[in-house]
Amino acid sequence: MSPRALEFLIDGEPRRVSAELAGGTLVLKEGDRVLEAAVRRISASELLFRTGGRTFRVHLVRDGGRTLVAVDGREFTVNERCPGTGRPGEGDEQGAESVLRVKSPMPGTVTKIAVAEGDKVRKYQTLVIVEAMKMENEIKTVCDGTVTKIHVAVGETVDAERPLVEVEKSAVSS
Amino acid sequence: MFSKILIANRGEIAVRVIRACREMGISSVAVYSEADAASLHVRMADEAVPIGPPPAADSYLHMEKIIAAARASGAEAIHPGYGFLAENAAFARRCEREGLVFIGPNSAALALVGDKVRARQTVEKAGVPIIPGMNAVSVSPGEFRDAALALGYPVMVKASAGGGGKGMRVVGEEAALGPALEASRREAESAFGDGSVYLEKCIEEPRHVEIQVLADRAGRTVHLFERECSVQRRHQKILEEAPSPALTPELRAQMGETAVRAMRAAGYDNAGTVEFLLDRDGRFYFLEVNARLQVEHPTTELVTGVDLVRQQIRLASGADLALRQEDIRQNGHAIECRIYAEDPRTGFLPSAGRIAYLREPQGPGVRFDSGVYEGFEVPVHYDPILAKLIVWAEDRESACRRMAVALGDCVILGIHTTAGFLRDVVRHPEFRAGRATTSLISKYFSSWGAGEADDEAKRLALAAAAYEALTGKSEAGGRAGRDGRKDASSPWLTMGRWRAGEGS
Repeated sequence: MSPRALEFLIDGEPRRVSAELAGGTLVLKEGDRVLEAAVRRISASELLFRTGGRTFRVHLVRDGGRTLVAVDGREFTVNERCPGTGRPGEGDEQGAESVLRVKSPMPGTVTKIAVAEGDKVRKYQTLVIVEAMKMENEIKTVCDGTVTKIHVAVGETVDAERPLVEVEKSAVSS
Repeated sequence: MFSKILIANRGEIAVRVIRACREMGISSVAVYSEADAASLHVRMADEAVPIGPPPAADSYLHMEKIIAAARASGAEAIHPGYGFLAENAAFARRCEREGLVFIGPNSAALALVGDKVRARQTVEKAGVPIIPGMNAVSVSPGEFRDAALALGYPVMVKASAGGGGKGMRVVGEEAALGPALEASRREAESAFGDGSVYLEKCIEEPRHVEIQVLADRAGRTVHLFERECSVQRRHQKILEEAPSPALTPELRAQMGETAVRAMRAAGYDNAGTVEFLLDRDGRFYFLEVNARLQVEHPTTELVTGVDLVRQQIRLASGADLALRQEDIRQNGHAIECRIYAEDPRTGFLPSAGRIAYLREPQGPGVRFDSGVYEGFEVPVHYDPILAKLIVWAEDRESACRRMAVALGDCVILGIHTTAGFLRDVVRHPEFRAGRATTSLISKYFSSWGAGEADDEAKRLALAAAAYEALTGKSEAGGRAGRDGRKDASSPWLTMGRWRAGEGS
């Protein structure tokens, strides 16, 4: 089998690899990094990888359009993209943009808004407190900037991924 | 003995109590909110009664509905589990008035130990060492400021009705005192319906050691030795073990006797736990009484061989304590890890959703107390505990190894969990050496999820996805989700796929 070019989004991060399978050995190239592993399929949802003298059990399951992968105590969400189409994925939204949209990472209730529109904020400053599962969760900004928009009010129930606050990134940071 | 018990709780602890009922030949009645209609405890109980909408205040905390469910189903006793109504003296009194047995301490003892300030005063009179602190709750900012100055920073803000780390804050300087008091009051108000807070001197880098106690109505009281619960995050225990690597036999005996004295002073009966802080110099201080079955009770069960839930039910039925102190021994070592629906890579934010895949760890000395199953939708309304993994082995080192392997075998997909994080905690040299204090996690694990091991795991995840793409599994394999898993047990399918992969 000749190497195949593949594109994935892993936890929203785009990664380009080339992969080749010969005699049960998978060769994965990413830039100049090479991973070579003997792969054994244990079941539809479990693969055994032997690489560098170590064994890893990989569990994976299709869930809707995504593949959920567990390896070495970490869980990842992987989407395969068609190479060359440039089809946008969830990871492409941010990055280059000058506005940070801070979203609620989980469903919950807004119990406090710690900033006001127009406030200057520092990286890791708390913007909003969302209570979920009986704990107060501090939602922070990941960049320096200025609060340009607050989308929620105290007492409001929010779903996961609901935009909470917009922060315009200041030029010095990021 | 009772013939029917209602369990006023949900999740893994409700399942645990239902198991004990089954073994004792007692019928079980589950209660459930609208968010829990498909929960495991509902499936396991002999009967299940709906008690209202998802918010706990409208269901699991709603006394009228729970009493009505007990009446309607003919239950004679109510097991409250932990959390919710477990330490609610008004509920215990209400049960007593209704002629229902509350499986827990008598309401007077519950009220006494549930008020942290009164509990401190009571045990102090019985000669139990307490942490220096305010002797009364206050609302005056001035009193707090003065008390903090007198105690010396850092101080700890605590909720008088507190538990489970809710409403607790460490304050290192005066400027932070006001905001900390405000946040603690808010959290305590929403968690317990009582926003009273007070201050204690903060014991730095303490170990958290607690003593399990059993007592009958006649006042016979024994202890079942200690559990060490120093591995905490945001004042919440995440890993517990028994015995504690920090105790000498002398200290163990002394703490056990002190705990028994504290419980006698409080007029306590049924199962309960006396929590202590142990400082660097081996001095211990009374922290609080947990007047309930605790999350970490299985570690004690595994090292002493005593079924604590069975004992609770026996004692609540009026039976005498059949255990004598000299008959209770610690054997081997047990560790418990709490598997929470939280994402350690994003600062432990709750991770609700559907469990798309679940593989439970198995093997000798491995116990998995679970409240979930594959396909279950984890609701957002309650504590994020999914399951507890408990292992037992002959000694601590073997137990650590067993736990690390079992955590690796515990695979949950669809939501993020703390299993992988806990595995790294168990493998950490400080923990391995038995030196964990309450600051272990903040000291060594604040940037977990952003290291070399994570990059490597990510590359392996990519490799697995690539393997699936090359072997045609990712397209044709839209199936593997709900239905494909059942197929996975078929040897024909496994063989066929494996051969196809090998030949390509």
